Amino acid sequence: MEAVLAIAIGALAGSGVWLLLRPRTFQVIIGLTLISYAVNLFIFSIGGLRIGADPVLGAATDPARYADPLPQALVLTAIVISFATTALFLVVLLTSRGLTGNDHVDGEDGTS
Amino acid sequence: MNGALAVAPILIPLAVAAVQVLLGVRLRRTRTSLSFLSCLALVAVAAVLMASASAPDGGGKTLVYNVGGWPARFAIVLVVDRLSALMLLLTAVLAFAVLPYALGRWQRMGPHFQPLVQLLLVGYNGAFLTGDLFNLFVFFEVLLAASYGLALHGSGARRVGAGLHYIAINLTASMLFLIGVGLIFGVTGTLNMAVLAHLIPDLTGTPRALMHAGAALLGLAFLIKAAVWPVGFWLPRTYSAAIPPVAALFAAMTKLGIYVILRLSLLLFGADAGFASAHFGSDWLLWLGIITLVVGSIGMLGARELGKLASYCVLVSSGTLLGAVALHTPAVTAGALAYLVVSVLGIAAFFLLAGLVVPRETPEGAAQLEPYDPVVDALFAAEDERRVTSPAPVVILAACFLACGLLLSGLPPLSGFLAKFALLAPMLGRGTGATLLFALTITAGLCTVIAMAHAGIQIFWADPDREFPRVEPGETISVVGLLGICLVLTFVVAAPWNYLSATAQQLHAPEHYINAVMDRTTENRP
Amino acid sequence: MPYGCISTAILLLPFAAALATPLIGRGNRRRTTWLMTSTAGVCLVLSTLLFPGIADGEVLHQTFAWAPALGLEFTLRVDGLTWLFLVLICGIGLLVGIYATYYMPREYPLVRFYSLLLAFMGAMLGIVLSGNVIQLVFFWELTSLFSFLLIGYWHHGKSARDAARTALVVTVMGGLCLLAGVLLLAHIAGSYDVDAILVAGDRIRESPLYLPALALVLVGAFTKSAQVPFHFWLPQAMSAPTPVSAYLHSATMVKAGVFLLLRFWPVLAGTEEWFWIVGGVGLTTMLVGAWAATFQHDMKAVLAYSTISHLGLITMLAGLGSTLGVVAAIFHTVNHATFKASMFMAVGAVDHETGTRDLRRLGGLRHVMPITATLAVIAGAAMAGVPLLNGFLSKEMFFAVALGANHGLELDTLTVLVALIAAALGVTYSLRLVGGAFFGPLRHDFPRQPHEPPRWMRFPIGTLALACLAVGVFPAWVVGPPLRAAATSVLGVQLPVYDLAIWHGLTLPLLMSVIAFVIGCVVYWVLRRRIAARDATPLIGRIPALHWFERALAFATTTLPELQRRVFPSRHLQVQLLLVVLLAGILGLVAVRPLPVPAAAHGMQVDPAFALLWLLGVACAIGAATHAKFQRMAALIFTAGTGLVVCITFVWLSAPDLAVTQLVVESVTTVLLLLGLRWLPKRVPGLSPLSRVARYRRIRDAVVAIAVGAGLASLAYTVMNHLVADSASRFFLEQALPGGGGRNVVNVILVDFRALDTLGEITVLAIVALAVFALLWRFRPAAESIGAPHQREVAPAQDEVHADRHPPAWTDQSATPGLLILLIAPLIALFALHLFLRGHNLPGGGFVAGITVTMTLIVLYMAGGTRWLEARLRIAPARWIGMGLLLAIATGLAAVVLGDRFLTSYHGRWTVPVLGEIPFNSALLFDLGVFAVVTGASALMLVVLAHQSLRRVVQPPGPPRETGEAEP
Repeated sequence: MEAVLAIAIGALAGSGVWLLLRPRTFQVIIGLTLISYAVNLFIFSIGGLRIGADPVLGAATDPARYADPLPQALVLTAIVISFATTALFLVVLLTSRGLTGNDHVDGEDGTS
Repeated sequence: MNGALAVAPILIPLAVAAVQVLLGVRLRRTRTSLSFLSCLALVAVAAVLMASASAPDGGGKTLVYNVGGWPARFAIVLVVDRLSALMLLLTAVLAFAVLPYALGRWQRMGPHFQPLVQLLLVGYNGAFLTGDLFNLFVFFEVLLAASYGLALHGSGARRVGAGLHYIAINLTASMLFLIGVGLIFGVTGTLNMAVLAHLIPDLTGTPRALMHAGAALLGLAFLIKAAVWPVGFWLPRTYSAAIPPVAALFAAMTKLGIYVILRLSLLLFGADAGFASAHFGSDWLLWLGIITLVVGSIGMLGARELGKLASYCVLVSSGTLLGAVALHTPAVTAGALAYLVVSVLGIAAFFLLAGLVVPRETPEGAAQLEPYDPVVDALFAAEDERRVTSPAPVVILAACFLACGLLLSGLPPLSGFLAKFALLAPMLGRGTGATLLFALTITAGLCTVIAMAHAGIQIFWADPDREFPRVEPGETISVVGLLGICLVLTFVVAAPWNYLSATAQQLHAPEHYINAVMDRTTENRP
Repeated sequence: MPYGCISTAILLLPFAAALATPLIGRGNRRRTTWLMTSTAGVCLVLSTLLFPGIADGEVLHQTFAWAPALGLEFTLRVDGLTWLFLVLICGIGLLVGIYATYYMPREYPLVRFYSLLLAFMGAMLGIVLSGNVIQLVFFWELTSLFSFLLIGYWHHGKSARDAARTALVVTVMGGLCLLAGVLLLAHIAGSYDVDAILVAGDRIRESPLYLPALALVLVGAFTKSAQVPFHFWLPQAMSAPTPVSAYLHSATMVKAGVFLLLRFWPVLAGTEEWFWIVGGVGLTTMLVGAWAATFQHDMKAVLAYSTISHLGLITMLAGLGSTLGVVAAIFHTVNHATFKASMFMAVGAVDHETGTRDLRRLGGLRHVMPITATLAVIAGAAMAGVPLLNGFLSKEMFFAVALGANHGLELDTLTVLVALIAAALGVTYSLRLVGGAFFGPLRHDFPRQPHEPPRWMRFPIGTLALACLAVGVFPAWVVGPPLRAAATSVLGVQLPVYDLAIWHGLTLPLLMSVIAFVIGCVVYWVLRRRIAARDATPLIGRIPALHWFERALAFATTTLPELQRRVFPSRHLQVQLLLVVLLAGILGLVAVRPLPVPAAAHGMQVDPAFALLWLLGVACAIGAATHAKFQRMAALIFTAGTGLVVCITFVWLSAPDLAVTQLVVESVTTVLLLLGLRWLPKRVPGLSPLSRVARYRRIRDAVVAIAVGAGLASLAYTVMNHLVADSASRFFLEQALPGGGGRNVVNVILVDFRALDTLGEITVLAIVALAVFALLWRFRPAAESIGAPHQREVAPAQDEVHADRHPPAWTDQSATPGLLILLIAPLIALFALHLFLRGHNLPGGGFVAGITVTMTLIVLYMAGGTRWLEARLRIAPARWIGMGLLLAIATGLAAVVLGDRFLTSYHGRWTVPVLGEIPFNSALLFDLGVFAVVTGASALMLVVLAHQSLRRVVQPPGPPRETGEAEP
């Protein structure tokens, strides 16, 4: 299970980085989205993987029966923040496209 | 009062910003006065915190505030020690001094200038106060988000282009930050810096290696903020594109990166962090700092725009500071702090000034300064006795420009000289790296002189009937105010210096910080 | 003690006057002049008062606290040497002050001039008074600064500007080296105090750091005193007004270097290095200066080079290391200052009267300005070293030293020879200067009609000429005691035997002076026409050093930065990001050494379904990567697919909260991207075949990407196998219910344990919303971007055709969506409320609820269209944001008011009459704030984006309103 998740994280990060290094703004934003998925999964995995653990406190008080909540909380915050910043980045790239007339990350249409 | 003053630096600007947003764009006057009030309050609060942090007893007492009243180990703690108090005061003063400048044309270039500035302060203060890694991340994001907004203030192709790069790079940096925090949390199970410092000596084998990896990625995130080579290329473009008051406010942002590196490297990887972790990565910091210093100096010499020139001054100062921090020596650290304060004020003043003496809205790369021409015409020309008269405002501008030059190049009579002296003097006899840094810092001073003289001569001397943009009183007030502080700091040295050296001592005795936090771990909610 | 006060006053007065000048002066020339002269005069008097205190080699101290913690004290230190310089600086300052007011063109107010001159005087006094090396450097740099400003006084002439810059760069460089040098000295001596350093001589000379320290200090001295190879700035500096040249560049500032040499003579001198460097440089400079001076035609240039030569002489005297040399050096410093200053002023008078300084155009002036001529003759004679004048005495002493030197025969003969040559050349150029200007037939082709300059312009020249005479005739009386005091302060009590007298009998030195004099006269007589014919100095040309300097500066300011720009193409985002990624990889690798061992996987069994799921997810990710360039829509869908897989993973691994959040965020992001897509330019694949560069880049990036992916994967795997046993979470699980009053631990953490994070998070949202609004404010999408839907295209035209038609065409919408909304909207809103309320105990919470509401909005917009909706539903996102933030803060502050920590939560049960007992939790209020901010922020972003599509069709009048706040 861990292995699968680790590979998944790696794959997401990899394709994200690839896009990050592309010359078109849209590629970059998609790349950032993918990377943030990877990072979220990574932080989530720090809590240790649990299947079928109760997410919500029930009768039992034994912590071992529950999934580790802290990383989840961190991931939640991270998700929200990256949502916000992605939105901003989107608007900026639209504006830049509008002002420069092209969608190259450097504003001038060079070779890709 | 249960130390609630510790949250004030975060809450005051946040609340003010919220109210300003509610007021909407029309009530500009009210919004502005609110900003002034908030900055004034921030200065006051910072001063009080500073006073409490430097309590009579030698070390000064460190105020720990566990938000939500949970035990410090689990809650988010805000820690006010000498260093954070200093940084709080610095940013508050900076913001207060910059505000008048923006009153006129600048803030009208976009709808939300004032609230964004306040939110920027929220970010700064939160980052300076927090004692929790993830919370640090959150406040970094607050700071960055606000800085995105401000960097784009006024829009226009140049700003948007620069902003695009700025945002893309910082988003990447945030990812690194998260990975780093994740790693550290994974192997230590805590986010609290003090607890972390407490645990590190006991780490062994793989967990320690992973923790180091986390620290390295974390460090990279901060190095990007500090615009260190080779990840600092975003800075000159972004800063020179931003409007002057914003660039001036940003002058403290690279220093935030330095602040965190200073804090963490001494807290987590101080001398007693165990054999394998002591001074972790300090070589890297030293050499990156040195390279940044060189790159900045060369950039300064080649700058064809005042904004760029100022930006490269920022690089130089971050390089110097990083190198100094990496030396892990109390005396040098103290000098570095002095240098930090002065360079923040000086660079801010210079950015503001740059907006007044040259037309700001030039397209990317449009040269405002001609390159240096080596041809010497008649060596002994007859004395040219035409009468020169310059209007008073221009004289003031010229004087301020001269002052900036002196300040940034570390020449007397402004405090730049003493700061540089305080930084350089203890570097002697501390090995090759230190000596190199010593030499390069002095050389950087020379480069600054050359660049500034070149610019100043062209702007104020070359052509007597040059048109200067109309200067509003508020703008002059800001510049003169900032420079005035620096002038005062030349002659009022004893008290500030004692504070700084005590701060350095405190930083180099991390157990002070650690204990202050750990003492609170037992306490539970009322 | 009075002495202390006096020295303090001497230092402070000039600066005070400098600051006062602009205020008092107010363009009134007379007043500014008086301020200058009286200040200088007072300082002079005060200085003389100090003499009794130091006559017998005592040292006066006056100390103020400056930065004790830094080991810095502001110490004023007066000894014989200092005293001599004090008198020199103040005295000549006074005379120059008088002279300038007649020299400078009438219409000048001279405010800037005099206040700079005063400031310079203060700085100069500061140097000689410094009892602390850092303080010395402090004033040293100040003199460089003021000389820069004074040289550039007539800054509309390019030569003045260049000269000013050159002087500044050279002297500041020297100053910085000096700083480094004294830091080294202080490091060895363990104190910044001059006295402490002076007694640490032996320690310093033995230290391994001696050589670097010496070198650095000497660079400082040589740059200031215009020694080869740093001499080039001085001739250039002659484009300053003549009074400035007289004061700074002959009498005082250039002597600062000499002062430094003498000041540290006891510490640094007496070694081989000292002898070779200082002596050698001095010798060379003396010769080069004299040689160049002989061939100049500009009178000021002659003086400039002769100054260089004389400074070289003094340096050499200090360098020979003999004690008599020091005495001679001090003596000649004084003499040179007097005759050279008067010479400069005389030349200035000539320039002022005739309008030229070119020796080839001058001649016979003694007929029209006899008095000036006489004075010039005296000064010139002193410069040439004619008996009965001070120059003669110091030259005698110099010869004596040269003869007395014993560093091996060859060296000594060389010294004597050079001394002779230099002296002879001195005679030659003095003759040229005086003879060429004042003697010979009177010429009538001067630019101006010359006549005797005003009395007060002659007065300073006369005074100095008189001084030359006085010293020359009664040396023992006039300069005896001060010279002794000064020598004592450098050499200590055992002074060498020297005799200040005109006649020592027929000695070798006398013979040498005679020889030199004769040779000089002969050379002048024989070569004067040849010299006049020459344009450049033979052998040297027009100071190559200057051109090297200029070239170096050009290299540093143009070539080097250009090189740097080419090495790091820092303008390109791709390069920067690549660097970031690479550095991350490197640092990560370096840091993890020794490479961690992925411990035996004690993880759980792999569930094939899960693996399959991720096979899909990875496929989606790669699909997105490959399609993002040409098929953006496809890429978007792939990304969403990946997001979905992530979401399922969260469910799978028992994190429902994450799943829900991921889902809603996913959908909103997708909508935003969709809204954005339509403004991006179309890209069709295969239009331009990939260039080689591009292909290379792709391969490189692919490698990097794969490496990073692999690295992160292994990192993740390793860390998953080395998780710490007990993290903070245990505490949260235990405390959530009793302490936080909620069953959904994650939510409790968000709104209670780590509520500050959440506060920050919503702040970020708010900021972004503001930023987005600000950015799209007044922004129009590019005209050539993809066209709006057909109906929008035609609608305006329709409206123009049938203007009477109601409602206008752009509002044309089918009725169904409206109906639909009326049904759906309340439902979704209700669901949002439900999500919000259960948040504390079940997955959900403020954030999710907020986003849900936003999705309602999205639905409404999609169905109804912007205008239709805003005509019916009034959204004020800014208000939501502000209120939400305030609510969140208020909730936190309530706790403070109640005496608890910020954001402390309270929970309990309220019994309300009718309803019965209902649970209450203050965290709920906080969450409400979150909800409000999230709703407002995301709504604001959507609305603004949506408005973009609107603007292109119907341009709204004036600046767009803050979205939705105003009534439609």
